[in-house]
Amino acid sequence: MANVSVPSPAAQQSPVDVVVDRIWRFFVSVKAAIWEIVFLTVLVLIGTLRGSSVPQWIADHVPGTSGLVERWYAWDVWHSLPFMGILTLLAVAITICTANRAPGIWQSIAHPTVTTTRGFLRNAELSATMDLPESREAAVATISAELRGARYRVLTEERGSETHVYADRFRYGKLGTFPFHLALITVLVGGVVGAKWGFRENAFLVPEGVTRAVEHGTAVSVRVDDFQEVYRETGTAKEFRSSIAILENGEEVAAGSVSPNHPLTYGDMVFYQSGFGQAVHIDWVDPTTGQLVEERLPLGEFQSKNNPDAAAAVIDLVPAGVQLTIVAPDSDPRNQPELDLLKLRSGQMYLQVSPLPGNTALTTKVESVINQGETVELGGVPFTFVREKRFTVLQVARNPAIPLFIASSFLLVGGLACTFYFPHRRIRGIIAGTGPETSQVMLAPMARRDWSAARSFTSVVERMREHLHAPIVLVDREQSEAATSTGE
Amino acid sequence: MEGLVRLSFYAFAASSIALAAATVCYLIFAFGWIRNRGTALAGAGGPTVMIDNGSSFTESMGRFATMLAWFAVAFQGISIALRSIAAGRLPLSNMYEFSKTFIFIVLLVYLIFERWYGVKQVGTVVLPLALAMAGYVWALPTRLREVDPLVPALQNIPLMTIHVSMAIIAYSTFAVSFAAAVLYLIAKDRNISWLPKPALLDDLAYRAVTIGFPAMTLVLILGSVWAYRAWGTYWQWDPKETAALFTWLIYGVYLHTRSLRGWRGTRSAVVLLVGFAAVMFTYYGNYFFGGLHAYGGVR
Ligand code: HEM
Repeated sequence: MANVSVPSPAAQQSPVDVVVDRIWRFFVSVKAAIWEIVFLTVLVLIGTLRGSSVPQWIADHVPGTSGLVERWYAWDVWHSLPFMGILTLLAVAITICTANRAPGIWQSIAHPTVTTTRGFLRNAELSATMDLPESREAAVATISAELRGARYRVLTEERGSETHVYADRFRYGKLGTFPFHLALITVLVGGVVGAKWGFRENAFLVPEGVTRAVEHGTAVSVRVDDFQEVYRETGTAKEFRSSIAILENGEEVAAGSVSPNHPLTYGDMVFYQSGFGQAVHIDWVDPTTGQLVEERLPLGEFQSKNNPDAAAAVIDLVPAGVQLTIVAPDSDPRNQPELDLLKLRSGQMYLQVSPLPGNTALTTKVESVINQGETVELGGVPFTFVREKRFTVLQVARNPAIPLFIASSFLLVGGLACTFYFPHRRIRGIIAGTGPETSQVMLAPMARRDWSAARSFTSVVERMREHLHAPIVLVDREQSEAATSTGE
Repeated sequence: MEGLVRLSFYAFAASSIALAAATVCYLIFAFGWIRNRGTALAGAGGPTVMIDNGSSFTESMGRFATMLAWFAVAFQGISIALRSIAAGRLPLSNMYEFSKTFIFIVLLVYLIFERWYGVKQVGTVVLPLALAMAGYVWALPTRLREVDPLVPALQNIPLMTIHVSMAIIAYSTFAVSFAAAVLYLIAKDRNISWLPKPALLDDLAYRAVTIGFPAMTLVLILGSVWAYRAWGTYWQWDPKETAALFTWLIYGVYLHTRSLRGWRGTRSAVVLLVGFAAVMFTYYGNYFFGGLHAYGGVR
C-alpha cells in the first residue's frame, strides 16, 4: 500500500527532526494501524465481557482469579484513559494516513503509469498471449476497442516498436476508503460534540397536569396533560403514552403524544416516553397567605413500613411548618396487601403531618385516612385529596451531533459499497509488430493473489476469443504450479 | 390466527426434515469424492491429481443435496411467511423467530454462493451449521412458538425489521465465509482433490465478508437509530451493542490485514474463525448478558 517512503534520518538531522520523523513514520505505518485496531478490539472485548457473566465464570472455575475479576468488573472501560487514548490515536492515524496516501492514489487514478515490462507480463500469475493477423496499429485499435467494450478505460503509449497498454475499470472505487475512514473520525467527533454541547435527562418525572422546566440553559418546559396505560392480562404494560405540551417562555409551541419508540421533537430537543408511576393531587391552604396550593406529588420514591410495598411520598410544606407524608394503598395481590397495617382501600390515602423544626404550634405527629374528594385538617392545615394521578417519566435529550451521525452513516455505507462492489480492475499489456501485417499481443491483469480479479480478466479474454476468432493462449501459472502456491 | 401459526410450525418441521436430508446428502457427496480419490490413488499406484472424475453416484448426491437444500429454503420461507401474516410483522423478535429466519437466510446465501462459484463443498460445513441451528430452535421452550405481542421498546416495526434482518444477513454471510475458511485450512498444503482450489475458497470467504461487513455496519448504524428513537440515546455501551462492535472490528482487522498487508490463506482463514466465534458470541449473547437487549425470551 502507499506507505510512501520517508527519507531516512540522515546523520546530520537534529534530534527534533528525528523524533518528528519517527512519529510520522508511526502514523503512516499500516502495520501500526492494524495493531491499533487490534488493541481497540481487545479493549472492546474486555468491556463487553464486563457486562456479562463470563468473568464470574472465570472466577468460579480458575483458582486465584477472583481478585482480577473483581477489578475487571470495577473497571469502566468506556470512560478509561486507554480507551479514549486509542480512539484518539486511531483518529490521528487515519487523518495522517489518508493525507499521506491521497496524492499517490489520485496519481494512480488520473495519471497511471502506462508502460510495463515483459518481465511483469511473463511472471504474472495469469496472462494471455495472442497473434493477430494485422499491423501493430490495427492490433492496438482492435484490442483497445475490445477493452472499451468490456467497459475499461484504455491508455496507450508508444515505446519503439511496441505499444504499451494500460486499461482499468472502476478507478474511482479506490476513493471509497476515504469517505469511510473520514466517517470513522466524524463519528468520534460526533461523540465529543454530543457529550460537550448536548444533554440528556434520563428520569424527567412530571405528574399529570404539572409543568416542569427542562433547564440546561433553555427556556423550555414540559406540561403533561394526560397519561394512559394499557395492561395485558399478565400484568405487564402493553402500551403507555403521555399527552404533552412543550412551552417556550411560557407559551405553548408544540404538543403531541409520546410513547416508547415515538418521541416528540421540538427544535433540536427530543422528548421520549420512558416509564411512569403513580401520583396524587392534593390541595392545601397556605396558612400565611390563605392561598390554595395545588400539589401533585409523584409517589413511589419512598416507602412506609406500615404499607411496605405501597407507593408513598414525603414533602416539606415550609410555609405551613409541617412535613407531609402520603401513603397510597397497595393494590398488587402479590404483595399480600391484606397484611398491611394501614389497610387502605382503593380510592383512599393515608396522610400524616409532623412538625418541621421551628414549628411550635404542633408538637406531635397527626394522621388521617381520607377518601377521594374529602378534606381534612391536620396540624392546622386543611388538605383536600382531589384525585389520584399518574406521573410520567420522560427523557429529554438534545444532541447537536445527530446530523453529523447521519452524514457519517451515509459515508460509511457508501464508502464501503464503492470499495467492495467497484473494485479497481487493471490490465497491462504490450502489443508488438512481428511483421508488416502480423502482431503479437500480451496481456496480464494486476491480480496478484486475487481470484476475483483473475476471473474478471479471464472473462475479458473469453470475450476477445469470441470476437477475434484468434487463438489465445491463457497461461495460469498458479494452476500449473499446483494449488498450494497460494500460501502466505 | 392460531391456525396460521400452527401451519407455519408444520412448514418449519418440513423444512427441518429437508435440511437434515440435505445435510446427509452433502456429507455423502463429500465422502464420495474422498472415496473416489482413494480408489483412484490405489489404482494408479502413485500420486495422481484427480480431475473431475467423480462417480455418477457422487454427482447425483450433489444434485440431491442442492435440491433438498432448496426445499428446506422453500419450506422455511413458507413458514416465515405464514408466521408473518399471523403476527403482522416479520418473525424477528425473539430467539425462536430470529433463529428460524437465520436458517432461511444462511441457506439462501449459501445456495447463491454455490451457484456463483459453482462449488458445493462449502455446503458440507454450512448445512451442518444450519442443522445445528434448527436443533437449537427445536430445543427452545415451546412457549416461544406462540406469537407474542411486542414489548413497547420493540414496537417499531420498520426499524426492527431492517435492523434485525441486516444482522441476519451479516451473520449468514459470515457463516459462509467461516465455512470457506474451515475448508481452506483443510485444503491448504494438501492436494485434496475433492476440495476446490484454496485460492477460490479464500476468495469466496472474502466475497462473503464484503457483503457481511457493510451489513454489519448497517446493523450498528440502524441499531443506533433505533436506540435513539426508543431510548433517547444512540449508543448505550450495552453489552450486546459492544459485542456487535467487537465482531465488526474483527472483520475490520481481517480486511486490513488482507488489503494492507496482503494476507491471504491461512492467516486470513484464522482471523475468519475468530470472527465467527465473535458472531456466535454476539448471537447467543442473551445467555450471558444483562442489559437492554435481554428480551430474546431465553433468559
Ligand atoms: C477502527 C478503525 C478502522 C476501520 C474499521 C477501518 C476499516 C477499513 C476498511 C473496511 C477498509 C477496506 C478494506 C478493503 O479494501 O478490502 C480499509 C482500508 C484501509 N484502511 Fe482502514 N480502517 C480503520 C482504521 C484505519 C487506520 C487507523 C488507518 C491508517 C493507518 C487505515 C488505513 C487504511 C488503508 C490504507 C486502507 C486501504 C485502502 C485501499 O485498499 O485502497 N484504516 N479500512
